[in-house]
Amino acid sequence: MKSVIVIFTCLLSVICLPLMAATDPSQRLISTIEASLDVIYASDFGKASRLEKESLIRSVVENEFNLDILIRRTIGRNWNLMDADEQARVLELVKQLVVKAYIKSLVGRDRPQLSFGQTIHVSSKRLEIDSTILTEGQAIRVMYRLGLMQSGWEIYDIVAEDISVVSNYRQQIDDHFRKGNAANLIQKLQELLQTEDLNDGIVL
Amino acid sequence: MGSYFKLMSCRLMLIGMLFSASAHAEPEFLSEDELYGEDVLNGRGISDPFESINRIVFEFNDFVYIEVFDRIGEVYTTITPPAVRRGASNFFNNLKYPVRLAGNLLQARFANAWLETERFVINSTLGLAGTMRPVDGMPRFAPIPKEDLGQALASWGIGNGPYLVLPFWGPSTLRELLGLVGDRVVNPAQAPFSSIDHWKWEHRTALSSAEVVARLTDGYGKIKESQIDAYGALKNGYLQYRRAALDE
Repeated sequence: MKSVIVIFTCLLSVICLPLMAATDPSQRLISTIEASLDVIYASDFGKASRLEKESLIRSVVENEFNLDILIRRTIGRNWNLMDADEQARVLELVKQLVVKAYIKSLVGRDRPQLSFGQTIHVSSKRLEIDSTILTEGQAIRVMYRLGLMQSGWEIYDIVAEDISVVSNYRQQIDDHFRKGNAANLIQKLQELLQTEDLNDGIVL
Repeated sequence: MGSYFKLMSCRLMLIGMLFSASAHAEPEFLSEDELYGEDVLNGRGISDPFESINRIVFEFNDFVYIEVFDRIGEVYTTITPPAVRRGASNFFNNLKYPVRLAGNLLQARFANAWLETERFVINSTLGLAGTMRPVDGMPRFAPIPKEDLGQALASWGIGNGPYLVLPFWGPSTLRELLGLVGDRVVNPAQAPFSSIDHWKWEHRTALSSAEVVARLTDGYGKIKESQIDAYGALKNGYLQYRRAALDE
């Protein structure tokens, strides 16, 4: 009897896994973005330190999506030019830079209004979710590209006003590795992160 | 009862095998190579033979944007309420109608050229000289791609040419520079047959420049701060943006 139940459970998992992965992930994306905005526009967010702010946002986003995929795509084949320590360091620093830029793009502005379009299935493994961000009278088109991974649907690119974030950073990283190495890149990323503390002059 | 479960388990195993077989027919998940090996660099096709000069001009522009334009933009946004800024933006955008018309006509997009004309007439009259955009509320006039002479040249098969960074203006290509010269010729805010010729030149220049500067430099510093190489970021961003405009 036990073996039957085990077999049944295993088979059910095999059958249900692709079906679960195929469900529309737009709700997961919307709730994650809204949750991150809730954090930024909470009344006590301005009082937190830079690291606390970044940590709060990262916990919300990384709870749902794996940012490593997005960042590794920006690095592309340059990944193999780095050793394991450098890979881990670059991943972490770019992640910090992305979160810092995200927070900086919102502080001091009114909470943007988000509207999401339909989910377009490009193939069985790729889909696109269109959205519009309304901020201070301007409408910005943002498209999220998601790919089907073992862990479920993950964001692999963000396209803002027809400009792919992954392509843009890949250009910079490719250009960097043509003349420099991983150590220079780590140094550059550290400098960028130290340019300005987010605590300075933030009024929400 | 025992034989029933055996039968059930056999059936379920068969279903499982069928699902597995279909799964093996086409990979279900994105592979590492698909994800990380894909060529995502749209800007690689552009030649940049003047990179050393371009980088010097880029540094000059960067200084001007941060130290001069950004401050003008800040003053402009401080002293003018959002409604006035929107009105000014709409006004100058409406004045660029001849550029959009020429861009459409040169690409034989006659339906869009007519739509642009209708939008211009309605915005210029009901929209109080173009300061408001009543057409936005009319479904028939849903936004259409903005055309210019650079896009027309591209549609004729003229290639990008080398990448250029123009003083004050920023990223461009040889083709886009030619288009820009053409745009200037037909743009009434710039050309001798200006529709706002009766304005004092300094008023015209100050208002149009302040509006453009405030729009262009909005967030420039913030964006730049998060770039590993701002020159490469701007080049790639510009080329992606123009390619999308050409594809529309």
